[in-house]
Amino acid sequence: MPTAIVTQSSGQIVHVRLVSSDTTDTTVAPEAVALAAESGTGAAETTAVVAAPNPIAPTPKEIFWSAGSFFVLLIVMRYYLFPKLKKGMVARYDDIRSDIEGADSVKAAAQTDVAGYEKQLAAVRVEAAGRIDAARQTVDAERNAQLAQVNARIASARADAEAKTSAARAAAQGQVAAAVAQVATKAATMASGRTPDASVVQAAVASAMESAGSR
Amino acid sequence: MIALDFPEINSILVWKDLFPSFNKIALIAVLAAVISITIFLLAVRQDHKEAPKGIRNFAEVIVEFIEDGVVMQTMGKDGLAWTPFLMTMFLFIYLCNVPGIIPFFQMPATARMAVPLFLALMVWVIYNVTGIKHQGIGGYLKSTLFPPGVPKALYILVTPIEFISAIIVRPFSLAVRLFANMMAGHILLVTFALLSEALFQAKDKILIPVGILPFFMLVFLTSFEVLVAFLQAYIFAMLTAVYIGGATHPEH
Repeated sequence: MPTAIVTQSSGQIVHVRLVSSDTTDTTVAPEAVALAAESGTGAAETTAVVAAPNPIAPTPKEIFWSAGSFFVLLIVMRYYLFPKLKKGMVARYDDIRSDIEGADSVKAAAQTDVAGYEKQLAAVRVEAAGRIDAARQTVDAERNAQLAQVNARIASARADAEAKTSAARAAAQGQVAAAVAQVATKAATMASGRTPDASVVQAAVASAMESAGSR
Repeated sequence: MIALDFPEINSILVWKDLFPSFNKIALIAVLAAVISITIFLLAVRQDHKEAPKGIRNFAEVIVEFIEDGVVMQTMGKDGLAWTPFLMTMFLFIYLCNVPGIIPFFQMPATARMAVPLFLALMVWVIYNVTGIKHQGIGGYLKSTLFPPGVPKALYILVTPIEFISAIIVRPFSLAVRLFANMMAGHILLVTFALLSEALFQAKDKILIPVGILPFFMLVFLTSFEVLVAFLQAYIFAMLTAVYIGGATHPEH
């Protein structure tokens, strides 16, 4: 049977609290208690009991279940799940780190190879440039020699041609001078009636041709 | 006028037993543990050598979040041994908070004092024991009650304040912060849900469109509670780490 704790002020019931043997607190409206009292029965026995636990107060069963659940979770997490997950994460990170380090060393080796290759390439380029210069000098020397030979041949051919030309011209001049002297002799003979001296005619023709040639 | 029949506070906070000594709060607490264990069990079963994806990625994100966002920020590298404990605490609180917005549950387990109080008292015991273990009882009391750099005359004032603050108030502030936030959120959601319902079912037809306003507020508060659920779990874990870190390394 519940026990009623009644709070009174100036003779009026302002609050009634029922405490049962199972520790459940129950608050009952004063009007209900007053009505029950007027009807002649005991307030605690006749009023409707409405369960009204403190909404803030923690209850043992909730503490028990939350603590139990938490500790089970903590034990499983601490001794099995977290170490296993973390071990996998660490192993994968180590793999990634060693892969990165391997890649770095391969990159460094590749850079060394590239540097060696570039060094060799530079040496080959220098050697190639030397060979090209030497070849160019050889080619230039050969070309100059051949040019000199060709020029000499040209000069020789030109001298021959000039000699032939001079001879042909001299021959032509001789023939022209003879023809002119003959014509001049005939003209002088016809004009004067006597034949001029051949040497004089030839000298005059030669003189005229020289003066004509000098002009 | 509308008839808004707001339920008694106990009817939205106190739950009947589903079976003897096992109510909705206990169910949520058990489910929080079961869901956490299931997620991590599924995660550890995946091949760790491959790039993490799906549930393993999710689990690793949680681990890294606790390590980088909580432990390294408060305790440094020495505190990494506390990661499983802090992660368990964060997951447990978060999964106890979140049912407040999940249909059919619609109640955060942390809106009852039992869960926050148990966790806060456990943290209190842990950081005090850890402090005593690391510094000895004299050293721990000295570093806690006599903070360095304070003029000796002020210890008359500072020491009682530190005693009340660090030894007495901390567990209650830790518990009440979580409990009050989650209970307030729960009551707000109930209030706006009831107000929306009352307005949508009002006899006066002109009030029906007005119901959209509390309904939008309900939607906003529901999404806000998603943030609060995460934030409160993070704050609790962070403060736990700060207290333990302070007890192990008082010079920090």
